[in-house]
Amino acid sequence: MYYIILSILFPVLSGICLLVRKEMKNRRNLLWTTGILLTITGVLVMLSLYTWQGGMLALFNLTPRLPILFKIDEVSVIFAVMAVIIFLCAGFFSFVYMKHEDKEKRYYGFYLIVFGVLLALCFAGNLITFYLFFEMLTLVSMPLVLHSGTREAIMAGLKYLFYSLSGAYLALFGLYFIERYGNTLTFSPGGVISSQTAAGYGAMLLGIAFAMLIGFGVKAGMFPMHAWLLAAHPVAPAPASAVLSAVIAKAGVLAVVRVVYYIFGASFLRGTWVQKTWMALTLITILMGSVLAYREPVLKKRLAYSTVSQVSYILFGLSVMNTDALTGGFLHVLCHGFIKAGLFLCAGAIIYKTGKTRVEEFRGVGKEMPILMWCYTVLSLGLIGIPPMCGFVSKWYLAKGALASALPGFWWIGPVILLVSALLTAGYLLPVTIRGFFPGADYEYNALEKKEPSWLMMVPVLILTVLSVAIGLVPNELIDYLWQMIEKVL
Amino acid sequence: MDFVQNFPAVSILLCLFAGIISSGLRKKAARSVNIILILIVTFLSVCTLFYTMGTGEAFVYVMGRFPAPWGNEIRAGVLGPLMALFFCVIMLLSLEGGRKKLVDEVEEEKTFLYYVLMDLLLASLLALIYTNDLFTAYVFVEINTIAACGLIMIRQNGRTIEAAARYMIMSLLGSGLLLMGICMLYDLTGHLLMSNIREQVIYLYSAGEYRIPLLVTIALMSVGLAIKSALFPFHAWLPDAYGYSTVSSAAVLSSLVSKGYILLLIKIIYRVIGFDVFYNSRIIDVLFAFGLMGMIFGSVSAIRENDVRRMIAFSSVAQIGYIYMGIGMGTQAGMTASVFHILSHAATKSLLFIAAIGLTDVSGGSRKLVELTGAAYRNKWAGAAFTVGSLSMVGVPLFSGFISKLLFSQAAVQNGTKMLPALIVLGISTILNAIYFMKTVIRIYTPVESGKYKGIQFMKMKRYCLTLVCFVALNVILGVFSQPIVDLIEQGLVMFS
Amino acid sequence: MGANLFANYGEAVAMILFGIGFGNLLLQSNLIKKIIGLNIMDTAIYLFLAEKGYIAGRAAPIVVDGVQSMEAYINPIPSGLVLTGIVVSVSVSALMLSITIRLYRRYHTLDLDEISLRLKKEGL
Repeated sequence: MYYIILSILFPVLSGICLLVRKEMKNRRNLLWTTGILLTITGVLVMLSLYTWQGGMLALFNLTPRLPILFKIDEVSVIFAVMAVIIFLCAGFFSFVYMKHEDKEKRYYGFYLIVFGVLLALCFAGNLITFYLFFEMLTLVSMPLVLHSGTREAIMAGLKYLFYSLSGAYLALFGLYFIERYGNTLTFSPGGVISSQTAAGYGAMLLGIAFAMLIGFGVKAGMFPMHAWLLAAHPVAPAPASAVLSAVIAKAGVLAVVRVVYYIFGASFLRGTWVQKTWMALTLITILMGSVLAYREPVLKKRLAYSTVSQVSYILFGLSVMNTDALTGGFLHVLCHGFIKAGLFLCAGAIIYKTGKTRVEEFRGVGKEMPILMWCYTVLSLGLIGIPPMCGFVSKWYLAKGALASALPGFWWIGPVILLVSALLTAGYLLPVTIRGFFPGADYEYNALEKKEPSWLMMVPVLILTVLSVAIGLVPNELIDYLWQMIEKVL
Repeated sequence: MDFVQNFPAVSILLCLFAGIISSGLRKKAARSVNIILILIVTFLSVCTLFYTMGTGEAFVYVMGRFPAPWGNEIRAGVLGPLMALFFCVIMLLSLEGGRKKLVDEVEEEKTFLYYVLMDLLLASLLALIYTNDLFTAYVFVEINTIAACGLIMIRQNGRTIEAAARYMIMSLLGSGLLLMGICMLYDLTGHLLMSNIREQVIYLYSAGEYRIPLLVTIALMSVGLAIKSALFPFHAWLPDAYGYSTVSSAAVLSSLVSKGYILLLIKIIYRVIGFDVFYNSRIIDVLFAFGLMGMIFGSVSAIRENDVRRMIAFSSVAQIGYIYMGIGMGTQAGMTASVFHILSHAATKSLLFIAAIGLTDVSGGSRKLVELTGAAYRNKWAGAAFTVGSLSMVGVPLFSGFISKLLFSQAAVQNGTKMLPALIVLGISTILNAIYFMKTVIRIYTPVESGKYKGIQFMKMKRYCLTLVCFVALNVILGVFSQPIVDLIEQGLVMFS
Repeated sequence: MGANLFANYGEAVAMILFGIGFGNLLLQSNLIKKIIGLNIMDTAIYLFLAEKGYIAGRAAPIVVDGVQSMEAYINPIPSGLVLTGIVVSVSVSALMLSITIRLYRRYHTLDLDEISLRLKKEGL
């Protein structure tokens, strides 16, 4: 039971210790320490998931109606497992990557703290706890964005801060109302809005729900509050971008899930203007993200735009509010998490080994590091949604859900946009493969040297690739698990 | 009569005597007297607090031998001792944190005067908290002003003297209005004791007599105290006074002196005018509106400022706006939030001032934000403390600022008409706060290559660090275990009337 | 209205004086004029109090030959308040004057705005 506390406190405290400690002379020691700390945290999370027996773990009260409490449900499990895998992979990857950046100790310190806060977010049992750690997440992840300390990075960090805090405030705004018109602030499947106190305030509560969606949607990069993501994700070091894009953007998704399905309840929002507007916003985001990514020449930026688009696939699934679309959404959470982390790590490995950042410079990269490029290709295919990769399964369910929904107009616009965006995805991801493997006739094969990255970089990428393929090949177990959960919330 | 009931009066008298005695003492002795005095008053306040919590009602202590309508009284509920206790703690910490700076900035032979002024300031604050007589309150308001003026100009340079002059002028305008209000109220009701005045005011109000004079009186007193506590359009004196005086003075002025006046205003609202009468006058909306404007304007000015001390000072303007907004909501919840914010802002702002001085000291004494780049690496403790203070100001959970923001918003949600403006301005102001505080935090944590300034080690400033730790602890306590304090405030406001 | 104003001419004068003093304290830029404004303002308040405490046809509340009936005296409290107030205003004026002297010694002017201007130029 208390493993939860331990799995949150341990990484945070060890991160702080790492920050406070003097600079270590031997880089190897630092890496060993960080590696062990990361692994222990992973083990602690697994233990806490495994030993959880239900119920709630209340720590203390902020005010009598606002306790800080933790609990684990199916949603927590999905997000926590994903977070652990990606954090470990990106962490080990950065042991090599960070060699060419300075201030490594600070990076690892904050990396651990972000890890802990993110786990707390997954385990948060009520809205106030969630809000608390949501704010913290913004603050502790900012140093990762700021890492390089250039003017561009600082401006991006400030932008990130500004957007996130405005968003969090919009969400906090809702908290006050829910405290007044809800039974409780504890997340409960099906919503907490009490029918007695909220009677007659329906219209106002819908407005509140919308404000909270927009507010928490900031973290997920939903239009119209997406601009920070485009600035912040590319300036961070590659492993940090992987974490930011794959996991921290998902914190916004988690927030939306909690608000929609565990606070307001699907039945409260279904068929209202909130659902329609939200759906329209996600569709705009999907299309816009893909188009922008298609036009972007720098690989890391291109991946960041892609994140904007892909995370909105998930939000679209959530906004449809039926079983199939939700299944698709949650599958895409995992799927996009692993794939995007993998893609960013690939981009990082290329930068680390060759120093190239723009797509047109990638001529012949595939000849120099074939294994990495194959991983990249497999991951890209997954994101595009070619069967039997995982992207196919999730998008299949998304489209199926959208078609089954009775919303006028949206039932066909949704799948069409998904399809167009998938084509665009292919258009912006595959050129890298093509240039990498087919450098053209004038390429000098004599000058070719093998630049395959070391195993410490390769293994995380491979793990993520294998996972993304595995989900696509054997999704049934996972889907059964998701259906159990969806049955409760719908 | 229980023995404890003597304590409030004793603590006021002790402060006055300590002030008189200290004026004949040397520097070291005056300092010891001051510290001992604060500790004693803290102890007395704790006793009084527990006593009133035990009995559950306010008690009246008659000064001199004349009974109610003629004599002078002291009245203490739960809120009074709580405030006294808190003020003592803040004062002690602020003095301790700025002690080293005091030695540098104030002439050796005048240092004892600083402690004399502090003693008198404490006396006047306690009197403002406890007294039940309106005219006594006025006299101590003036003592407070004079002491505060002395605190500003004890560091002798052109800036501080000019700041002191401006501070005096604004304060005198305020106290002139206050005195006029008191005189008119005396004229209307024939009493000077607060409780008696209220009976008469309520009688007059229900009889519908003297509507306009009553309104004018309320307006005069509210505006007078608003000027003195630097509510938005009357804040011109504030940045200089807080920005250039020695750091302990700045901390004490921003966290105690202006709060003393606000407390007096709350007292007047509850005990002199009566909450309902005050609520029905339009003055409350004016306070609300100016509070909102102050929240925005203060933050905008702070963003444009590039001097760290003045930036913190402008942030005070915004925070005082918060407090007046809470008062202006005209609900019990709003008032509770305001009183809590008095505590939370006092704890945070003094922390920021003290931490900022640690940062400027390791940056060659320059207070320009540009020079502070990387200061948090040179003085790690001050950097961490400044970060905590900033986070609290922005309203990050676990720190005191979040709780007051929470209370304000809850109060706003319960209020029909003022809900929307209050929430919107709260939101804007939160974001503006975040901009300038986070900008500063990022700057002090931006590493610099050239070792232009030297860092400082923990061993060289143990007491300073200890003070910072106490301040941070105070902030976290207010942020995490706020419930008992909020309960006490609610209980105290009930006892107030 | 006019009749009321005429009947209470003392209070009316006090209010006008208060306004004059307040305006001077607020608007004058010369420090000495400000202090004069302050004193006019305070004196106006004392006039108001004294006017309020006075009851026509009665004597000052000083017992000379044995206790007379309460009806014979005016209200003594305003007089007490005026005394206290005078003490306060004297000390405040003294403080203001001392600040003025300090500023004059440094900047050789009594104009507060000009002093601010110079301080800005010094860039302290």
